[in-house]
Formats: sequence, C-alpha cells, structure tokens
Amino acid sequence: MELDAKVSESGDKAIRVKGGLSMRFNAKISEKIAFALLGLSALTVVGFVLVILGYIIYNGYSAINIGFLTEMPRLMMTEGGIYPAIVGTIYLIIGSMSIALPMGIMAAVYLNEYAGETRTTWLIEMAINNLAGTPSVVFGLFGLALFVKYFGFGSSLLSSSLTLALLILPVIIRSTEEALITVPKEYRESSLALGVSKWQTIRHVVLPAAIPGIITGSVLSIGRVAGETAPILFTGVAYFLPRLPDSIYSQFMALPYHLFVLATAGTNIEKTRPIQYGTALVLLLIVLGLNLVAVLIRRHYRNKLKI
Amino acid sequence: MLSRNYREKTIEWALFLVSALTVVILLLICLFLFRDGLLLFKDTSLMDFLTGKFWYPTSINRQFGLLPLFFGSLIVTAGAILFAVPLGIASAIYISEIADPKVADFLKPFIEILAGVPSVVFGFFGLVVLVPIIQHSFNLPTGQTALTGSIMLGIMALPTIITISEDAISSVPSTLEQGSLALGATKWQTIYRVVVPAALSGISAGVMLGIGRAIGETMTLMMVTGNTAVIPSFPGGFLAPVRTMTATIALEMGEVPQGSTHFHALFAVGSVLFIITLLVNLIADSIKKRYKFKVD
Amino acid sequence: MTEAVQNVSQPQIQVENLNLWYGEKQALKNVSMQIPKNSITALIGPSGCGKSTFIRCLNRMNDLIKDCRIEGRVLTEGKDIYGPNIDVVDLRKKVGMVFQKPNPFPMSIYDNVAYGPRIHGANRKDLDGIVEQALRSAAIWNEISDRLKSPALSLSGGQQQRLCIARTLAVKPKIILFDEPTSALDPISTSRIEDLIINLKKDYTIVIVTHNMQQAARISDYTGFFLMGELIEFGQTRQIFQNPREKSTEDYITGRFG
Ligand SMILES: Nc1ncnc2c1ncn2[C@@H]1O[C@H](COP(=O)(O)OP(=O)(O)OP(=O)(O)O)[C@@H](O)[C@H]1O
Ligand SMILES: [Mg+2]
Repeated sequence: MELDAKVSESGDKAIRVKGGLSMRFNAKISEKIAFALLGLSALTVVGFVLVILGYIIYNGYSAINIGFLTEMPRLMMTEGGIYPAIVGTIYLIIGSMSIALPMGIMAAVYLNEYAGETRTTWLIEMAINNLAGTPSVVFGLFGLALFVKYFGFGSSLLSSSLTLALLILPVIIRSTEEALITVPKEYRESSLALGVSKWQTIRHVVLPAAIPGIITGSVLSIGRVAGETAPILFTGVAYFLPRLPDSIYSQFMALPYHLFVLATAGTNIEKTRPIQYGTALVLLLIVLGLNLVAVLIRRHYRNKLKI
Repeated sequence: MLSRNYREKTIEWALFLVSALTVVILLLICLFLFRDGLLLFKDTSLMDFLTGKFWYPTSINRQFGLLPLFFGSLIVTAGAILFAVPLGIASAIYISEIADPKVADFLKPFIEILAGVPSVVFGFFGLVVLVPIIQHSFNLPTGQTALTGSIMLGIMALPTIITISEDAISSVPSTLEQGSLALGATKWQTIYRVVVPAALSGISAGVMLGIGRAIGETMTLMMVTGNTAVIPSFPGGFLAPVRTMTATIALEMGEVPQGSTHFHALFAVGSVLFIITLLVNLIADSIKKRYKFKVD
Repeated sequence: MTEAVQNVSQPQIQVENLNLWYGEKQALKNVSMQIPKNSITALIGPSGCGKSTFIRCLNRMNDLIKDCRIEGRVLTEGKDIYGPNIDVVDLRKKVGMVFQKPNPFPMSIYDNVAYGPRIHGANRKDLDGIVEQALRSAAIWNEISDRLKSPALSLSGGQQQRLCIARTLAVKPKIILFDEPTSALDPISTSRIEDLIINLKKDYTIVIVTHNMQQAARISDYTGFFLMGELIEFGQTRQIFQNPREKSTEDYITGRFG
C-alpha cells in the first residue's frame, strides 16, 4: 500500500486522502470504469464501419447484376448500367499507376539506400510529406493549370491520370520505403561481401525481399485512385458519355463522379436511388476487395518466408 | 570495372533525379496555384479578399470575400475534431494497451477499411442517412448543416488519429510501464500517468494530421453541408448550412470561364487552402521530430 | 612480434599501422600484422576490443559505415587495398566473408549459391557444376543434394551457415574472413564447421574471429590477441597459448578476465 501511495503522490487527491484498502478498492473501480469507456469507444468506431458498410451493402446488392455492370446508361442515366464508369475507373488506375509506381519505387530506393543525411535529402523528405498532406482538390486545381491548360492535354484521361499519379506518389514512396526498411541489413552486407555491386545488390536481393510490402502499398493506392473524385473533377471526368474513351485525350466517366452526379445533380435523384446504391456498392467492393488482396499478399509472402 | 562504376553512378543519379522531382512538383504546385491566384488581385485587393464577408461570385455587384468560406471550413473542422479526437485517442489506447492481442487484431482491419472508404461514399451515406436524421431530430428546414459535415468528417479523420496515436503509444518503452506497475500502480493509473504523457507528442502529431485531412476534405462536405456561403454564427451555426473552401472550389470551378476573375478567385482560395495545410503539416512534422528524439 | 612469421616469404595479407576511428572514437590503434598464405589466423580478445572492426577492414566492409575513418595500409599480394586504383567490388570478390549469424537470402538453396557467380557473369551451363563444387567443398552437398530447389531458410542453423560458406566459395575468393561463424550454433554443427575450415586451408587463406579459446587453439596456426583496439600479441598459436609473452594475453587465455 505504501508503494501505491507513492505513485499517486503526483496527483489524484481522492486516492491519496483515503489510503489503505479503500484506496486500492477505488483505484480498481475507476480502472474498471475507464476500461469500459475505452472499450466502448473502440466499439463505436467498429459500429460506424459496420453501419456504413451494412447500409450500402443492404441497399446496393439488389441493384447489382450482370446488366448493371456491362451495360451503357440509358435515358439520361436514369436506367441501364454503369459500364463506362467502371471502364473509366480502370483506365485511370492503369494510367496513374504506370506513372506513379516506377517513380515512387525509384524515389524510395534512392532515399532508403543511397541518400545521406544532407540538406537535399531533408528537402526531398519535406516535399514528400507536404505532397502527402496537400488536399486532393488542390491537386485538381494544379492538374487543371498544368496539364489541362499549360501542357494543353485538355480535359482528358491523360490529364486526370497524371494528376492522380502525383496524388498517390507520396503514398507509394512511403510504403516502399517502409518495405525497404524491413529488409535485414545482413542481406545487403552478405551480398556486398560476395563482390556484388550496390545496385546489383538492390536489384537482386533488396527489392525482391521488399516486394510483398511494395505490392501491398501499391494495391492500397489503387484503392485511392478508384475512389478519388476531386482531382478528376476539372481535369477530364465527364458527366455522361455514351461511349468508351478511345484515346488518352478523350474524356471519360468514373465511378465516384458518377455516384456524386446521380446523388446530387441527376435529372431525377429519387428515381435513380437504386443506381446510386449500386454504384456506391461497386466502388466499395473494389476498395474492400483491394484491401483484402493486400492482406492476402502479405500473408502469402509471410508464410512463404517462414517455411 | 570502369564501365561498372560508370553504370553504378548513372543509376544513382537517375534515382536521385526522380526523388528530387518531388521537390520540383511541390514548387510547381506553388507556382501554378499562386500564379493564377495572384491574378485575382488585379480586380480585388488582397485586403478585400482576406477580410471580405461576402462571397457573391456571380451577382452584378460581385464580391470575393474569403471569410464565409474560411469560417465554414473552420467550424466544420472544429466540430469534427471535437468528437474525433477523444474517440480516436480512446480507441487507440484500448487497442494498444488494454485489448487482448487477438481482439486488437480483430479491430485493426475495421480501421483500415474505414481509411479506405472513398469520400464520395461517405458523402453519399451522409446524404441519404445522416441528413434526414439531423433534419428531423432538430426540426430544421434542411439537414444539410455544418454539424452533419462535422460528424461525417470526424468519422473520416478517425483512422488517421487512431493509427498514429497507436504507433506513438506502442513505442513507449515497456520498461517505463513495468516500472510503474512494479510500484503498485494499477494498469489504468499507469496508462494515464505514464504511457499517455510519454506518447503525447506522437498523439498530437496524429491529431494535427487528422486536422490536415479534415480541412482538405472536399466531396463529403460538398454533399452534406448545404453549401451556403454565409459566415456561421457560433454555436448556432452548427445547425445551419455552411460552405467550405474546398467545396467552393469543387462546385464552381466547373462553371467558370477560364481566365475570368472568378476563376482566379478560386485559385486564390486554393492557394490559401494549400498554405493552411502546409502549415498544419509542418507543425505535425516538427512535433513528430521532437517525439522521435524523446524515444531515443 | 614479427619474428614468429619471419620464415614466410610473402604474406598474403600485410597490415601496416592501421588506425580506425568511428567518429571521434578510436577503435583500432596502430595495428600491424602479417598473415601468411594458406594459414588459419584466429583473432581473440574481449568483447568490444575491435576484432570485428579489424576483420571488416580486410574487405573494406567498414566503407558502409558513416563517419568511419581509416589510416594506414592493408596489402594483399603486395597491393594496398585502400590505394587509389582499387575497386572495392573486385576486392570483395577476392576477399570473402562469412558472418556471425547465418544469413542465407530468401531464395532456394541453389539460387543462394548461384547468386554470386550469376552476377559475375558465369556461363549458365557451368552454373550447376559451380554450385555442386561449392556445396561439396562446404561439406553440405550430401545432406541437401536432393532438395536444391527448396528454400534456404528451411535448413537448420548449422546447415545454413555451411550454405553461406558455400555461397562464399562459389565466388572463388583467395581469402575468407569468418566473424564468429559458430557462436550461434550448437556444438555438433560447430565441430563440423571447424573441420570444414581446417579443410579449406589448403586452398584459401583464412582469418577467423572467435570467442572460443578451444576453437582458436584447435584450428588456427596463428593467433592475434586484441585489447581495447590494440594488437597486444601476435604469433604462432602454440606459442601464444603455451607461452604468451604478455601478461594480459595470459590472463585472457586462462580466463582471468574478458
Ligand atoms: N558502427 C559503429 N559505430 C561506432 N562505434 C562502433 C561501431 N561498430 C563498433 N563500434 C565500437 O568499436 C569498438 C569495437 O567494436 P567491434 O565490434 O570491433 O568489437 P568486437 O571485438 O568485434 O566485439 P565482439 O566480440 O562483441 O563482437 C566497440 O567499442 C564498439 O562499440
Ligand atoms: Mg564482433
């Protein structure tokens, strides 16, 4: 009990005044209450997730069928499917990932394997942090000013993909860096000790060992590309197109924007509710599916390394 | 041997150039944002923009006053932080200190999922579920209010706050904790007297980043806050529609003629937004640095 | 000190007045040593006395450490490895290294051994032969010849360490450095690796750091005793163990400190 008193010296008068057994008792009770409240908070967070997912799944699943996924919208988008929006989102993913992934991996390799503690490195780290924190609508403005107007790519798949690529670049750099950090330094040392050059060591030992982490990070940023709306708003997404984009200079439809338009500005908001729920569910399934894939990849590689 | 060294150097340079590109991109963002933003001040003075109380971009007597948008962003973000911070930190403490590891492993994926849900989906959910609830429970003409935005935004900021706080809490050395427990302190006393104070700067970094995320959020707010550009009163403003800086840009950029004053005004709003988030991130960064130093 | 090795014509490794600093802290002080060809040299001394630091100077692994500064000369076959025209990558091909903890790459057994030769441009059709030869020299071929494609990390600790030795042999070095190669292994694996090292002596020059006095006495021809960054005594192993010149050497060997 003496010891107990010592600990509580610093504050909490209630505990100090009583002392003895009852003090121990009070401490126990307040602990019980505190833990219950903390547990309740965690449960609330889980509750939010379940309610949001549950609501969208419950309302959306009846709207989804093969036709919904493979048909063009009809009658001013009040009927028909969301095929062009799905295709547009896939094009965006391919476009932005094929730019951001190689760039992100290269930058991460430089920062983790080569960069010393110089001013330049500090500047680069700083730039990445700030890019990561820049709001997506600001990226949209930037894409409009640079790609659409200045480079003259127009409102197009190309402009939007480039804008999204910049948005996820910091995400990919950070996750790749994290993956590289977990590669044991012994791998690097023993490869170098075999008379293998630094780049070849990175290429043949470090990167392969980091691949699970890199893939996990990229899969998660694909989810980000699929869900972002603000950056494509003024750089290329179209309200309605009766055909698929036929070149990188075409405009396109995309799932998140489609949902936004139908829910806020469609010709008949109430009538298209089922399409809205369906679109939200498809979007959610893509993102959750990618999350699941990321988890599975991580687990697969972890087991493989364990054998 | 020479050709190999040459190749190694070339590769290192190429990798360096790519990473330096991030700095270039950030500079380009500043350049293009500020360039178009500054053009606003040919027509409107900087003072009128920063202290103007009215955002009337299309009326004949048009005015580009930032204040209604700024306070719109502020009230929504403040509301979000007010409920997301305690909830997030409490959950982080529960997950990293109290929950059985199995329970924690069960809880974490939910937070990852929450982080992955696209903002339009949050906005859509807010629009069809929360807006009617708010409207009916407060008997309002519309449920699209600052409060609605705050609630949705708070939920969206939770994953950032929880993940970073959890990291900070888990990195408190266990010897510190054991020391306190060995003195006879209960687990709870140890948590709030020893663990949380030691993790405080890490937790504050998480809160700052959560704020950064909230200020920059666009789609959700555009869908649930009603988008009326008036300076909100306090606290009554929570139950009235507001319009944030982000929503203003997203709503109006599609309709303005490029190169017009209105167009430049939106870029000016974007520049302000960019500067605010830049500051928030710098603060978070410096807090995190201090906290790393402390753990060493 | 040098008289013990006077009879050797040209030393494989010749260290002259080697000094090394980690930042402000001096970790090696004026170390000189001559290591003859096809011999085993053991380096002993209490923890933190600079054995690893010294051995890592011999293949310039310390280059990887930031603010590590080196003065003095290290000559192999008469050439200063810290000289201006030395290519570190080529040097490390000639001076292999086996580490304390077995650390095979997360690849198959075969790919681990083939890793070095492949990158150094070995002919694809020669590869099988090189791998088999290296695994045989490392005395592990018989145990694993039927599962070359299985992951290296599935082997036991002792097997992994012999695999790492095979991986080093496959690059065909002239000198092999061992930094406490058996300290993470059980006694049986340890004695296997000791036998293996003795066997390797006929083709390679070997330097081994060890904390195990018996090991040093059993397998080495020469022994160097380090204390706080200084080479206190260097000579033939028998002499060092039976008739040390320095008091501190005797104290260490008889277990009075360290
Ligand atoms: N990278 C480094 N940076 C700074 N100091 C170092 C570094 N590596 C080693 N040292 C210091 O140099 C001294 C010699 O270390 P070294 O690892 O060579 O000792 P050792 O004899 O191999 O010890 P052990 O038997 O424990 O392996 C030690 O005091 C150590 O703390
Ligand atoms: Mg050592």
